[in-house]
Amino acid sequence: MAMKVVALAGNPNVGKTTVFNALTGMRQHVGNWPGVTVEKKEGVFEYKGERFLVVDLPGTYSLTAHSIDELVARNFLLNGNPDVIVNIVDATSILRNLFLTMEIFDMGLKNVVIALNKMDLAEKRGIKIDIRKMAETLGVPVVPMSAKEGVGIEELKETVYNVAHGKVRPNPVTPTYDPDVEREIRHISMALSQTELTERYPVRWLAIKLLQRDDEVMKLVLRYLGEEKLKEIMGHIGEAEAKYGRAMDLILASQKYEFIDNLMHRFIRYTKSEGINLTDQLDRLLIHPLYGFLALGIVFYVVFKFVFAIGLPLQGVLDDSFSAFGEWLAPHIASETLRGLLVDGIIGGVGAVLSFFPLVFLLFLSLSVLEDVGYMARVAVLMEKLMRKFGLPGKAVIPLILGLGCNVPAVMATRTLDEERDRLVAMFVNPFIPCSARLSVISFISGAFFAKHHALVAVSVYLLAIVVALLSARFVSTFLVKGEETPFVIELPDYLIPSWKTVLLHSWERSKEFVQKAGTVILFGSIFIWYLSNYPLPVGTGSSYAEKIGMFFEPYMKLMSLDWKAAVSLLFGIIAKENVISTYGILYGSADALVNAMTPLQAYVLAVVTTLYIPCIATIAAIRAESNWRWAAIVTVYMIFVASLVGITVWHLGSVLGY
Amino acid sequence: MSIIDDVLEAILEGKKNPSEIASELKLDREEVEGAINILQSLGYVERIEKGSNACSSCPLKKVCGGSCVLPKSRTYVVTEKAFSLKNHSQ
Ligand SMILES: Nc1nc2c(ncn2[C@@H]2O[C@H](COP(=O)(O)OP(=O)(O)OP(=O)(O)O)[C@@H](O)[C@H]2O)c(=O)[nH]1
Repeated sequence: MAMKVVALAGNPNVGKTTVFNALTGMRQHVGNWPGVTVEKKEGVFEYKGERFLVVDLPGTYSLTAHSIDELVARNFLLNGNPDVIVNIVDATSILRNLFLTMEIFDMGLKNVVIALNKMDLAEKRGIKIDIRKMAETLGVPVVPMSAKEGVGIEELKETVYNVAHGKVRPNPVTPTYDPDVEREIRHISMALSQTELTERYPVRWLAIKLLQRDDEVMKLVLRYLGEEKLKEIMGHIGEAEAKYGRAMDLILASQKYEFIDNLMHRFIRYTKSEGINLTDQLDRLLIHPLYGFLALGIVFYVVFKFVFAIGLPLQGVLDDSFSAFGEWLAPHIASETLRGLLVDGIIGGVGAVLSFFPLVFLLFLSLSVLEDVGYMARVAVLMEKLMRKFGLPGKAVIPLILGLGCNVPAVMATRTLDEERDRLVAMFVNPFIPCSARLSVISFISGAFFAKHHALVAVSVYLLAIVVALLSARFVSTFLVKGEETPFVIELPDYLIPSWKTVLLHSWERSKEFVQKAGTVILFGSIFIWYLSNYPLPVGTGSSYAEKIGMFFEPYMKLMSLDWKAAVSLLFGIIAKENVISTYGILYGSADALVNAMTPLQAYVLAVVTTLYIPCIATIAAIRAESNWRWAAIVTVYMIFVASLVGITVWHLGSVLGY
Repeated sequence: MSIIDDVLEAILEGKKNPSEIASELKLDREEVEGAINILQSLGYVERIEKGSNACSSCPLKKVCGGSCVLPKSRTYVVTEKAFSLKNHSQ
């Protein structure tokens, strides 16, 4: 006797895999569905000495054949002749889940069993379900389960057995629609009823699918009825849609939802005791147009406080160690040139950057926590609100959020935007979003010069950058490219306690990149800068290459009170922003010398200018790749202009205010 | 009109997240998210795969351990299909 076949159908994430594993244990086989790369899992279970073949269908929300998953699931239900269909339903979101159930019922399939999973969770949330009534209302057996705890598995096996052997005969409800729609269904069914199609497929289902303009079914009908007849039917449907003023598939979906809603009230009850959940409560505050931004400021202030409180002392230790190492090493090297290169160039430059490792790691750690908790998604929502106010087409904001980590992938992400102007605007604003490389510069300066208020200083530089990004958005969307709004929704995850493993792993991966960069880009940069500052004669003589280059820009830098050293640093910062730190390290020799050479206001101007002045080379290249040279040049020139403007303003404003 | 229509309508009007839509329509957030899932499978909204795409095509992929900040949100945009529908009804 052939094994009876049991198909598992359900929405994504309902616990299908959990049920499948609980049923079949180790007896599984994983392959692909014929012709497609969708995974097919099969397994066997035994009940009362009989073996059943379980086929796991892809998780889908409906059977509309818009995706391969849906098509695979639907074709198996139609043509795979399963003896029993187990429809796994998530008890915590019955309405959405029963939509698929109704699609199965629409197909005229009878042998359906509902496995009502996650009952434990439903109970916790105060959802009361009358199982007997539910089975009665839907006309199929309902087995309550908590698959994760193995509860209900035996009962499910028994029910499947009973249905497979005709001991229980389900009689599913037929979803019904408005009289107008039902008339259309009858009309089309009539037209189809003379064909052989009726022998292979349920006519009502074909009619419903035609109403939804289902491609696959239209092809079928074309084959059996010919083009003329199909055209006539479709013309008829078009008229009906015109009357409703909406597409038929939406009308059917809506009415199906209403149908389910009506049924549900007979067997489900929510006890409203717990009110709204924690996520919703928090979101009222955290994505509020006013409090949300306040909270954002506070969150980042706390993050910087934390990063500086723990990171700065460690940074100091590292910095001292590198200096000590240099001092220890120096007498061991005979060649003066080599000594200079190693001690002043490499240890001075790379060491200066590397000493920021604790700060960078802690910052990434905080970011990863915020990400894992679900807060970054709220930041995305807030930023979107803000950007939209400033005339950026909402969709263009999505790639911007990525810019927090690194501008390059953010520029690449603009590819997802359909409209060219959206892409251009997003690329234009993107480099103003402070990336993690700028963060080390910001923390370097706020840490070195502002003993007390470093967190506040860091937050204020960030804030300034965002204000500039906003104003630029307004500028570009008013004068350069105009965009229009494409509606979209951002679904927010529930807040979760972070998983420390994920967080640590993630922060480590990101910090590793920082170290790698120090060992490559920064290393070569440092060697080069050391060369420029020692040849033909060392710095201080006025004839080193570095001084010559710097002096060329100095008149311009003076406008914002910065000197030639800043010019050289910023020049090298184009390659990678961290180079600003290493260059300073080399040019001044020690952090103390640097601190003595600049006033806090000058340092603040430097932090602001570094953050704004130019996209790094990788970002410029990415912009060019995604648009053209011209746009990359426009963005670069614009950024230099804005950075100068803001730098000069901050300097003068600061001086007037007496800093 | 049912939840599905209402939710689509709210998105077309410019509501940006399920919580907002839920409080306007006096629904649970989960019901709104459920409706969005159905709208997605009907082809009225589509999910934007942010990040993953950008990250895999990024020129810095080799040196970068994944600096991209990836908010754990799911973003859906309204498709042409929904627009043709809107014009239809006007
Ligand atoms: N509380 C609770 N959680 C469950 C239960 N069954 C499964 N889950 C959880 O639900 C989540 C999804 O379970 P899976 O078995 O992977 O679901 P799936 O339907 O195969 O998901 P996809 O592979 O995304 O289609 C997991 O986190 C499970 O631990 C249950 O009975 N109670």
